[in-house]
Amino acid sequence: MTNPSETKHMSPFTAFAFHPKTLHFETQEKDETVILFLRQHIILILPWFVLSLLLFLLPTILFPVLLSRLSAPFIIPTGYVVVGTMFWYVATFGFLLTKFIHWYFNIFIVTDQRIVDIDFVNLLYKEFSETQIGKVQDITYNTKGVLAAMFNYGNVIIQTAGEIPNFIFESVPYPDKVIDVISDLAKAKAVKDTI
Amino acid sequence: MTPEVIGSVSALVMKLFTVFGLGVYAVFAIIIVRQEQLMAKTLAESSERILRALTLIHLAATIAVILFAIILL
Repeated sequence: MTNPSETKHMSPFTAFAFHPKTLHFETQEKDETVILFLRQHIILILPWFVLSLLLFLLPTILFPVLLSRLSAPFIIPTGYVVVGTMFWYVATFGFLLTKFIHWYFNIFIVTDQRIVDIDFVNLLYKEFSETQIGKVQDITYNTKGVLAAMFNYGNVIIQTAGEIPNFIFESVPYPDKVIDVISDLAKAKAVKDTI
Repeated sequence: MTPEVIGSVSALVMKLFTVFGLGVYAVFAIIIVRQEQLMAKTLAESSERILRALTLIHLAATIAVILFAIILL
């Protein structure tokens, strides 16, 4: 197996990090090392960025056209136009921010001891699930669609003997490398347990 | 009631509705800030400060819009 090189610096857009040095998660033990850190591929949030860009441009392009074409029976006061436009930009920024936070905090972590899946379902609901590396039974991956093939991302499905039968890392980059790393860790753990 | 009084009362009602609506959005902005703080405890990462700054900018901008609405409308 060819291990990916270590990730020294993580940016807010990092979706695949091998042995990240500057990362720590909530229930991490002192003797526990993070091997892999994953998020969904960055390409999946690109549509939200494009939509937000269009929403940002809308007041400057579409609104003047609409106002000139439509003959309203009343005059909209200037104060409402100013406040409405300001709110439009703030709400668009808020929309993009929530989408980004949702992506940013949906993470998969593989340590030398366990696999952790943190799901940030919405602003008020968080789900934290984990399984021990020793409980991994089977691991597969699939890539579906043109984008997945082009940008090399896919779903990694981990079957375990634990309470949670399946762990699914959805749309993560380099799924082949992910299963290599987890397989190696599971084998190493099995060897260690038999000694 | 004279038309002037009706006009000023309806303008006041419109202003109150607008400020109330913006206030509801401000609650949403506060939830985003709080949620980011909670999630940052789950995952401590070097770039987390940028995200915190963005959520605070969003909240500040929302408060600014409310203030503008109170002054301009």
